[in-house]
Amino acid sequence: MSDVMDTLAELMPGSPLFELRRQRADVVKHLQGSDDAIFSPADDGGLTRAERAAAGLRVATLLRDPELSEHYRARLVALDSGGSLAKTVEGGARITEGRWDAVLAHVDLVTRGPGSAERKDIDNLLAAGLSSHAVVSLSQLIAYVNFQSRVLAGLRMLKGGA
Amino acid sequence: MSRPMRDFTQGELDWRSWLAPVDLVSATPEQFAALKITPSNRTVGAYSLVLAHDPEVLEQRSPLYNGIMFGAKGLPRAERELGAVAASRINGCAYCASVHAKRFTELTKAPEVMARIQADGVSAKLHPRQKAILDYAAKLTRDPAAIGPADAAPLRAQGLGDLEILDLTHAVAMFAWANRLMQTLGEATTPAREGNPL
Repeated sequence: MSDVMDTLAELMPGSPLFELRRQRADVVKHLQGSDDAIFSPADDGGLTRAERAAAGLRVATLLRDPELSEHYRARLVALDSGGSLAKTVEGGARITEGRWDAVLAHVDLVTRGPGSAERKDIDNLLAAGLSSHAVVSLSQLIAYVNFQSRVLAGLRMLKGGA
Repeated sequence: MSRPMRDFTQGELDWRSWLAPVDLVSATPEQFAALKITPSNRTVGAYSLVLAHDPEVLEQRSPLYNGIMFGAKGLPRAERELGAVAASRINGCAYCASVHAKRFTELTKAPEVMARIQADGVSAKLHPRQKAILDYAAKLTRDPAAIGPADAAPLRAQGLGDLEILDLTHAVAMFAWANRLMQTLGEATTPAREGNPL
């Protein structure tokens, strides 16, 4: 059965790289499990699925990954039919809402310069109204998409060199 | 009192959270399950207790991490640790770099490798196979968009097959994840020692 990484890397069932991934069955299983827990959680802790898709899109855009961006854009469109979140992530729309502004600033910081994060960055998220659950969910999400983009780069490399 | 620590070291470091960790007194059944806490095992670090605020992700991420770093066959474990160290150096995660440098040296009994990386970072002079691993790990960590099919050639020239390259990719990517959690949810500290005013 194809999972999110197969789809993103365009690996057909039965192809050598598809089968190679299955040699790491635990990785395949829990990578998809992580994706589900991050983007379709049973308990979202106050960070909505639309906001999660928008944050994923922001990370993919910062990493200049067009296929990954399209993946999150499609997910966001399905969840945010008015497109207001998408505009704040990609369209250069002015952000006027403090909570979402804080979320996007954190996405940028953790993706681009995790080494310069400070205690005040977590305090800012809490002050903007995020719960501890939402802060951890957001942190996991940003870190996961950074992981995902690198796994995808490696799969594309192996695919291109086959 | 422990002090913040951002410099790379081969010594022992602790980690201090910036977010109040989950309190086991009021933890939910989901949080206990994700932490794998049983009546006989209640030793959990601050890092896990912070991640337990989102038990759904923690429950998946722990076995994912173990599968990537400890899965049988494929790339030797020490070389996965080398990938972890390279990513952690570039991202500036002193805590992760020190923990995984130590694991590498335990596995290889070759302390000179980490001594060289400690001194010269990812440009350290190493055995050609280690060098190829370090170079790929560094490029993938810095900018995944820059990776192309040609980047597999130096790895293949050093004897890495597809499974080994996939394992290395997973390990380096895992530290794009782990470093970001460690560096943005808290900070490394030098351990507090009895009688040591620092």
